[in-house]
Amino acid sequence: MSEIDATDTIRGRDPMKYVFIGPAFAVVLLIAIFPLIYSLGISLLSYRLAPPTPVRFVGLDNYAALLQQERFWQVARTTALIGFIAVALQYVIGFALALALKAKVPGEHLFRVGFLIPMLVAPVAVALIARMMFNPTMGPLNQFLSLFGLVNLPLLTQTNYALGAIIAVEVWQWTPFVVLMMLAGLQTLPDDVYEAAALENASAWRQFWDITFPMLAPISAAVVFIRLIESFKIMDTVFVMTGGGPGISTETLTLFAYQEGFKKFNLGYTSALSFLFLIVVLVIGSVYLAVLKPYLDKQK
Amino acid sequence: MTRRGRYWALFFCLVWAAFTLFPIYWVLITSFKTPPAVNGGPTYLPFIDFAPTLDAWSDLFSGRRGQFFNTFYSSTLVTLFASVAATAIGAMAAYALVRFPFRVKLGAGLLFFAIAFGGYQTLTQGFGFGRFDAALRAFPSALVAAILVNRLRLPGPVLGNADILFWFVSQRMFPPIVTAFALFLIYTEIGRAGFKLVDTFWGLSLAYIAFSLPIVIWLMRDFFAALPVEVEEAAMVDAVPQWRIFLDIVAPMAAPGLAATFMITLAFVWNEFLFALFLTNARWQTLPILVAGQNSQRGDEWWAVSAAALVAIIPMMLLAAVLGRMMRSGLALGAIK
Repeated sequence: MSEIDATDTIRGRDPMKYVFIGPAFAVVLLIAIFPLIYSLGISLLSYRLAPPTPVRFVGLDNYAALLQQERFWQVARTTALIGFIAVALQYVIGFALALALKAKVPGEHLFRVGFLIPMLVAPVAVALIARMMFNPTMGPLNQFLSLFGLVNLPLLTQTNYALGAIIAVEVWQWTPFVVLMMLAGLQTLPDDVYEAAALENASAWRQFWDITFPMLAPISAAVVFIRLIESFKIMDTVFVMTGGGPGISTETLTLFAYQEGFKKFNLGYTSALSFLFLIVVLVIGSVYLAVLKPYLDKQK
Repeated sequence: MTRRGRYWALFFCLVWAAFTLFPIYWVLITSFKTPPAVNGGPTYLPFIDFAPTLDAWSDLFSGRRGQFFNTFYSSTLVTLFASVAATAIGAMAAYALVRFPFRVKLGAGLLFFAIAFGGYQTLTQGFGFGRFDAALRAFPSALVAAILVNRLRLPGPVLGNADILFWFVSQRMFPPIVTAFALFLIYTEIGRAGFKLVDTFWGLSLAYIAFSLPIVIWLMRDFFAALPVEVEEAAMVDAVPQWRIFLDIVAPMAAPGLAATFMITLAFVWNEFLFALFLTNARWQTLPILVAGQNSQRGDEWWAVSAAALVAIIPMMLLAAVLGRMMRSGLALGAIK
């Protein structure tokens, strides 16, 4: 922020700065903060559209009801399960791919463009393609598995397989993001450390654990954090692939909120649910940062 | 790296590339299949395994299968407008955060929340105002009060540019369902007051601009911070107004960054599902909603489903090619450092 101090006296009082930041501030305030406060108010009401009931102030009753509902915990567990496993796989595979690209494997340029593609495909389209791939009778995966004697597995209609399929799709789609970020991080590492390590005959394995991994710890923490937060929002993929089924065994928090809000029109309840969701995200985010902070500070 | 190590790395990359590209290849060939070729089990090679046909595509373009043109048109219009607007507004804000000092007192922020939420609750519960009327009164008063109070000397921490940046970026951490659902309720209330926002161009575009701003500000801040401040200072000495400095000097220098940010926003908005699901129903439905609907309407008519999915995918593929080229020139590097 040193540039700011240098120009403080000249630019500090220029009212033009409010014109620059004003529109963004206004849009975020109107379209993001205002709805947030509005629905915080709704979450304290008993408010249903179907069947229409008189609106009543019920305080924290909606929250209490949700916390006592087994379905809420089940859905939260499913969301966390999908998020943690998928992000762990994305990170490991993505980091390995970034290392391979950094080592200039032949055809590196083509790989770079190819690896980027899944990230840009609409999640609903990905989910539709996944439905075809995982189709238990006509899909190519079934034919592949048949080679090993596993014929017509219920890939999308049995809980464990369905969860696995969703995680596979998440990994397919978002590993490119990890590749992109880790590759950018790898390119900032100084060469001389590696030259020194090579002089001392440190193996590639040792170089990775003693130099690369610790030096990339901050960016790794950021990448995992972003992916984790994003994957808790997962909805489109599940919506199209399994619709939350079988039963509610693959339902995620966003999908649950959608069902309550748009199928049952239980507005107060849904608002409370989305705030609980927000709290869950904030808690997991804070715990994550608190756990990592001592380690990251040590790296500096 | 050793020779053997390089072969393993290449092998790993090839396996991943196959895993990445096979589904894309699959959807591409499926869109050229006939119904018997789909139902008879998986086939892989056009002309050898099955005879390709354009039936699915001509069905799609003839409009016999739902209003594809209309959806494509609204998707394109909303995406382009929202991305341009978000990039412009976001870039301006990012520039302000890099070059101008801002001071916001934490007390003023808390006061804003207290008046906005407290006033809203009091007006609805105590005085029987409608929810929307109450919000319409509480919210602007809170804003005015906070701005006035911010000028006073207040105890407590003062938030600087880094905090304001974090405030913007943290909007992205919130689960979008919170905003999407609330926006739907608000749009409905505004609609009752006579101004239609649900299923309109403006309603959806506004939501997308707000939804894209955090990422635009985050990316553009780094691009602007990397620019040399001397040119701008020289212009300031010549008494060139700030908005001219921004438009004529800074924006052209940051053009590659603006282009990259614009394209990333484009991809986000084009693929977005949740807001479109809540805020549109017929006229301004976007492609992801239409594509998702194919599933229940078409079931196992994979040729039709594939063609529909490809309409959503192909524009982004072209974007990937451009982005990949830009990345190679080290452009995206500055953005994500």
